[in-house]
Amino acid sequence: MALLLGLWPLAGVAQLNVSIASFDPGVPEDYSLHQDLSVFPKIRQIESLFLPFVLREALTGAGDWGAVRVVPEPDESAELSITGAIVHSDGESLAVSLRAVDARGREWIGATYHTEGRYEDLFERFVADLAGVRNNFDDRTLQGIVNLSLMRYSAALVPDAFADYFEQTPEGGYRLLRLPADGDPMMARIHRVRSVEFVMTDAIDEKYRELHEEVDSVYEIWRKYRRWYANFTAEEALRNELRETNAAKGSYEALRSAYDNYRMDRLAEQEQDKWIVGFNNEMTPVIERMDERIAELSGWVDEGYTEWARILGELFEIESGLD
Amino acid sequence: MPANFSGSWERDYSRGEDAQGALNSLFRQRQRLVQQQSQFPGSPRQSAGISQREANALIALARLVEEITRPDVLTITQDDYEIRVARKDDFELSCSFFDGIAQGTDSDYGTEVCSWDGNSLVSYLVLPGGLTISHRFTMSEDRNYLRVITTAKSSATRTPFTLHRYYIRFEAPPNAFNCIETLSMKRVCSTGEIEP
Repeated sequence: MALLLGLWPLAGVAQLNVSIASFDPGVPEDYSLHQDLSVFPKIRQIESLFLPFVLREALTGAGDWGAVRVVPEPDESAELSITGAIVHSDGESLAVSLRAVDARGREWIGATYHTEGRYEDLFERFVADLAGVRNNFDDRTLQGIVNLSLMRYSAALVPDAFADYFEQTPEGGYRLLRLPADGDPMMARIHRVRSVEFVMTDAIDEKYRELHEEVDSVYEIWRKYRRWYANFTAEEALRNELRETNAAKGSYEALRSAYDNYRMDRLAEQEQDKWIVGFNNEMTPVIERMDERIAELSGWVDEGYTEWARILGELFEIESGLD
Repeated sequence: MPANFSGSWERDYSRGEDAQGALNSLFRQRQRLVQQQSQFPGSPRQSAGISQREANALIALARLVEEITRPDVLTITQDDYEIRVARKDDFELSCSFFDGIAQGTDSDYGTEVCSWDGNSLVSYLVLPGGLTISHRFTMSEDRNYLRVITTAKSSATRTPFTLHRYYIRFEAPPNAFNCIETLSMKRVCSTGEIEP
C-alpha cells in the first residue's frame, strides 16, 4: 500500500473530485400536462444546463472538494458523481431532486431540495449535507473511493488489463480487490490519458461557466417577472373571493364581471407567453452555441478515448505477451 | 386541420346584424309563437311569452355579446398545432391540438374548450354563474369571407342570444421593421433580418 501512496498521495484524499452532470429538465413527455404543471420546456432546458453550474459554484465555494466539473452526461466512474432532476421551477420556487453516488456505487444523498428564496440556498444546503456525509468517512475509505474510481476508469479504457482489479457486489456496487504495482507502465499511461481528458472536460466545464454568465441576468429578469405574476394571480384570486357583488343574477353587471375576470386572467397568461417567447428568443442562440461547442469538445473526447483505448489495448497485449 | 383561417380579417359592415336588430328579431319571433299558440288552443303548449325578468336577462346578454364582438379586425394565426384569434382589447381565443385532440384551458375564472364541427371551428367559454359564450368560425369556399356566430347563454334565461358577424380577408401592410421580443431589451426591431 505504501508503494501505492506514491501514485495517489494521501494528502489529496480528503478532497474528492466531483462530477456534476447536466440536470434532467423534468419536462413531461405529455404536452398537455405542461400548462397544468407550469412547465416551460425551453426555460427548463436552459435551467438544466444553468443550475448545475450554480451547484458547482457552491461546491467550489465550500473549499472541501477537489476538482468540480460540470459535464454533459453522468460520469459513473467519477469519485463522486452528482445527478439532478428539476422537479419544479416557476421562478418563485425551485425544487430539484439531487443524487450523489461515489465510485463504489454507494448513494450518499438522494433527496429533493426545495427553496422559495435564492436558488443558491438550495445548493448550499445540499453541499452542507454532502460534507456531512463525507465527514463520516475516514481517510482510508476516501482513498479507497479514489482508487476504485481510477480502476473503473482504467477498466473502461483497457478492460483486459484492469477488469479484475475490482468486482461488482451483489447489491450492484463495486469493491476494490487490489491495485497495480508501483511503476506499472500501463498505469502511468492511464494517468496521462486521464490528465488529457480532464483538460478537455475542463474546457467543457468552461462552456457551462460562459452559459451561466450569459444567462444569469436574463434568468433573474424572468424570475422577477414570475414572482410578480404569482403575486398578481394570488391577489386577483383574493380580490375575487372577497368581492361582494350586489349584481342580480343574469344582469349585465354580473355577466360583465364574470367575463372580465376571465379576460384579465387570460390576458395575464398571454402576457406571460410573450415573456417566455422573449426569454427563448434571447437564450436560444446562446444555447445553440453552447450545444455546438460541447458537441465538438465531446466529439474530440470520444474520438480520443476510442483511440486511446485501442492503443492501450494493443500495448497491453504486447507487454503481457498475449496473442 | 380541416380549414386554415390564417390571415387578417376586417368587419364587413354591409352584412351581419347589430345587437339591437338581433334582439328585436328574437322578441318578434317569441311574440309570433305566443300568437300561434293562442290561435290553436289545442296545440302542445310551451311557455313562449317573455317575462320582464327574462327580457332583462336577454338584453344583458345582447349587450355583452355586442361588446365582445365589437373588434373590427381579427388576426388569426394557425399552424398544425394551434389556432389563435387575436382581438383588440381582448384576450386571444386559442385552440391547441395535441395528437389531434383539442386542448382547452381551465382556470378558477372559467373553462375554454374548442373543437372542429366539419370545417367550422367552435370555441366554447364556460364562466362562473352559468354564463356560456360560443364563437363559431366558418369560412366561405373562396376563403375570402369569414362568418362568426357568437352565442351567449346565461342561467337567468332559457333563450340564448346569437349574433352574426361577417369579416372580409385583407392583406395587412407589411411591417417596415422586423421585431422580436426579448426579456432584457424588450422589443428589438431592425429594418434587416432578425435571427432569434
